[in-house]
Amino acid sequence: MVTPLEEAFPGLAKGGYRVTSPRDDDYNCIAWAAGETRAWWWPGRDAEREYWPPGVPRERMRGAFVAAFASLGYAACEGEGPEAGYEKIALFADADGRPTHAARQLPSGRWTSKLGVAEDIEHDLHDLEGVIYGAVVLVMKRAARTAADGGA
Amino acid sequence: MATTPVRTTPGTPAETVEEGFRRLAAAWHRDTDYLSSMEDAASHPAYQEIIRLGPEVVPLLLRDLEANHTHWFAALKAITGAWPAPASAAGNIPKMAEAWLRWAKDNGYQW
Repeated sequence: MVTPLEEAFPGLAKGGYRVTSPRDDDYNCIAWAAGETRAWWWPGRDAEREYWPPGVPRERMRGAFVAAFASLGYAACEGEGPEAGYEKIALFADADGRPTHAARQLPSGRWTSKLGVAEDIEHDLHDLEGVIYGAVVLVMKRAARTAADGGA
Repeated sequence: MATTPVRTTPGTPAETVEEGFRRLAAAWHRDTDYLSSMEDAASHPAYQEIIRLGPEVVPLLLRDLEANHTHWFAALKAITGAWPAPASAAGNIPKMAEAWLRWAKDNGYQW
């Protein structure tokens, strides 16, 4: 039986994913990729509704998302495989290049995503590609955070 | 509970505001739950139709906002003309919801 999640993201239908949290309207994919669960991050034109890092252009352009993650120490990189000592995020965009989604790599090399207001899932990176999120257009990495500098 | 009919199709019973809200909200959730852009979600036809239900739908929006933190902020603003959440709360959904619910109580809404 195909679940609503698999119907929305057919790449998940092969079964290589698992739901890791209940639905939560309080945070979204960009926040989750940034390691945040207490805010809704998006560069919407209506600044009173959504958080966006101060000083980063408030526009739905790839450059604005790159700048947002750069403000957290990420830089664009080649390769989506896991690298010891680094953590990675991946940015998705639609056919017009407009960002739609971000995922964060887990130490195992798999990826974690918050799906809008819906669940968090663990998945293979490209299994979320399709009509809703488009395709992965960029991977960024930073040195892995430790407990001392606020990381896990 | 709202009882005003919002849709009358020949041969079918009239729909109350609450029934209309539930039908439209279900369609909206189905089509937009995976999106991160509140602007995209609020521009969905079902969301816009909920706004057109007018002041009678406000208690239903408040009830859902309180219970689920559903993003009815744009609809509440469109219908009431208010925006009670401080700028410092932008993106903090619990704080935005709290500000709206406090404002609603202060302005006599019951839900």
